[in-house]
Amino acid sequence: MFNFKHEWIETNVGLLLVLTMLAISIGGLVEIAPLFFIKDTVEKVEGVHPYSPLEQRGRDIFQREGCYLCHSQMIRPFRDEALRYGHYSLAAESQYDHPFQWGSKRTGPDLARVGKKYSNEWQVAHLNNPKSMVPQSVMPNYPWLLKTELDYSDMTDRMMALRAVGVPYSLNKEEYESNVKRFGAEEAKMLNIADARKNLIAQAQENNYDGDNSSITEMDALVAYLQVLGTMVDFRKYDDDEFVKYR
Amino acid sequence: MEWLNWFASFENTKPVALVILFVTFVLIVLYVFGDKKRSARLETYKDMPFLDDATEVKEGKK
Amino acid sequence: MAATEISSSEQYNFDIVKKFSIMAVVWGLVGMSVGVWIASELAWPFLNFDIPYITFGRLRPVHTSSVIFGFGGSALFATSYYIVQRTCQARLISDGMATFTFWGWQAAIMLGGISYMLGFSQSREYAEMEWPLDILIEIVWVTYLAVFVGTIMRRKQPHIYVANWFFLAFILATALLHTFNNLAVPVSLFSMKSYSLFAGTQDAMTQWWYGHNAVGFFLTAAFLGMMYYFVPKQAGRPIFSYRLSIIHFWALGFLYMWVGAHHLHWTALPDWTSTLAATFSIMLLLPSWGGMINGIMTLSGAWDKLRTDPIMRFLIVALSFYGMSTFEGPLMALKDVNALSHYTDWTVGHVHSGALGWVAMITFGSLYHMIPKLWNTEMWSKKMIEVHFWFATIGALLYITAMWISGITQGLMWRAFDQYGNLQYSFVESVAAMHPFYAMRAIGGMFFVTGMLLMFINVMMTVRQANAATAKVTAAHRAKMAGMASA
Repeated sequence: MFNFKHEWIETNVGLLLVLTMLAISIGGLVEIAPLFFIKDTVEKVEGVHPYSPLEQRGRDIFQREGCYLCHSQMIRPFRDEALRYGHYSLAAESQYDHPFQWGSKRTGPDLARVGKKYSNEWQVAHLNNPKSMVPQSVMPNYPWLLKTELDYSDMTDRMMALRAVGVPYSLNKEEYESNVKRFGAEEAKMLNIADARKNLIAQAQENNYDGDNSSITEMDALVAYLQVLGTMVDFRKYDDDEFVKYR
Repeated sequence: MEWLNWFASFENTKPVALVILFVTFVLIVLYVFGDKKRSARLETYKDMPFLDDATEVKEGKK
Repeated sequence: MAATEISSSEQYNFDIVKKFSIMAVVWGLVGMSVGVWIASELAWPFLNFDIPYITFGRLRPVHTSSVIFGFGGSALFATSYYIVQRTCQARLISDGMATFTFWGWQAAIMLGGISYMLGFSQSREYAEMEWPLDILIEIVWVTYLAVFVGTIMRRKQPHIYVANWFFLAFILATALLHTFNNLAVPVSLFSMKSYSLFAGTQDAMTQWWYGHNAVGFFLTAAFLGMMYYFVPKQAGRPIFSYRLSIIHFWALGFLYMWVGAHHLHWTALPDWTSTLAATFSIMLLLPSWGGMINGIMTLSGAWDKLRTDPIMRFLIVALSFYGMSTFEGPLMALKDVNALSHYTDWTVGHVHSGALGWVAMITFGSLYHMIPKLWNTEMWSKKMIEVHFWFATIGALLYITAMWISGITQGLMWRAFDQYGNLQYSFVESVAAMHPFYAMRAIGGMFFVTGMLLMFINVMMTVRQANAATAKVTAAHRAKMAGMASA
């Protein structure tokens, strides 16, 4: 030990490589690996379920347009944020989000609980031309959402991919039954991959998000997604400090 | 494997990690700056970026 | 003199360094111009023109990838290939592999930019490229590692110079980060779309472990490698303390990997993780400033160079910005400060004081030093370097100041209560209040881009002048040979 010479490392690229790798690996290992094993990382809470096919397609559009660059989906536990946005976000609420959309910047307001806050008509008008609803807005117009028909031809492939990364969309009877137990019968039907297209069409027709039932547009999907954000957990069921122990 | 649980508690791991990191840091600093002869030797390597200028000059003379 | 340069360009593969240097300047101009454009979109939203391909959300990744990976990445390939050859006094092990890294890398950035505009995005900041491009980058990167390590193994020096340690750490860390952050399952083999392997909290942690270490290793460690070579070379004296550089290297490499979670303070990430990250962020101040002092003190005894040599000034001002940003960083990693600064423009300002002040300035200095050596000539206009320096400095300062004011204003407006305990401002009032600062930021960016344009012109003229000179020498040589033959 006392004869150690830093020159050993400086003159041996193999040793330099191994030791550097070691030095840079420790931090990530210590901070990331436990998150997968510590049970308290994600709260136990009722109501959170995977997105319906239409909502998932809306989420894809949210990602495509880069909405996450100006809108966060992560409310922090402060008084002002509680007043402005609602209850602080739980880890459980994004447990099926592949990828997460917490964001890092609020050029516009947080969207974690925007669901049901505004009517479908407001959302459609706002996305089409934000200034018509909020005159000082700096958000771009998204007129093509109303004009573009939603492509859901690969909906089953998308759900299969999500299933592969761990979202409990059901592919067989057994998985379906387990979803019934976990999320209830109505929700379990929504998560059945075989019925994906039927469910997507039905949800769009029933809610008629964009006010025009002659076709399913990208606007239908995006508004369906926005309207479900933050609505899954019923916070009336829990004490105020229920979730503090998980922090 | 019960003893592993000892590490799971922050009250234990924090001071342990602090001691390990601090001792390592002090050892490195002592090694690098502690000994005059070693210091002088280590400092000789800093001329490396200028070494190939020397070969250039030599080649130039040829 | 001429003979030596020809011999060193035969001894080394300078062709690849030239290619990457030119592309660094080109991507710099492109990426920064896109930056000015999107900054203007925030100040004057009509600039989105209702065209999907150029809305803010789609162009922002075009800006970040082309400046980080196009400009920064190309500059790093250029300087690392240059430095590893010169400090090892060995030629790159394979010209073919090096050329592959060039075309592979340029293709990835080009295709990445186009794919974002078409709407393909993983929506992971600074890692928006979809899976086929990620695979391309992975292959390029492994080749890069092989070329770099292989060249070191061929060295004629027993020792490996510090600059190369930093480059090695950067290559290894980037490989690690890129691999784990981009784990995803594609929708199908023929679809660009994929879904990330991780979800929610774990996904957020992985992304910001990547995101901050892209800053730590791509934008810091690697550019420190640049610093450790070009500052001594330009100053004509060795680095201030070789021993300090040993501590600098190991401490920086070890500590950086812990701090990513400070991007997730007060979120649903468990408290222990973000506390750990905050602690390590504070500790990181030590190696950062150690490195800055090491660089700046190299000039001790030759301070007059700052007055006479604009290249030296670029390098030293870069180090000063580095010191400033690495002080601001730990400050913002404190939970209480972060509660105010997070989600605001302050973060954007902080990133740019690092990106414009440190990364871009050290690159400008290094390229201005290296390009004349590569083409065996002088820079076309020294005066223009001087002017570039002032445009860059004023631009960076305007940018940072605008973002400080707007960021802190936003943070304070969001948390302001009136006398009845209600929120004092609606969100959109804070948006409206930002307008003057967004305009100021865009103007700061215009200054910076103007400087970049001057550099582009200067470099192109330098290359032209060098090529013309070579053509003349060759012609004279031919004429002489012809004369000899006839005689």
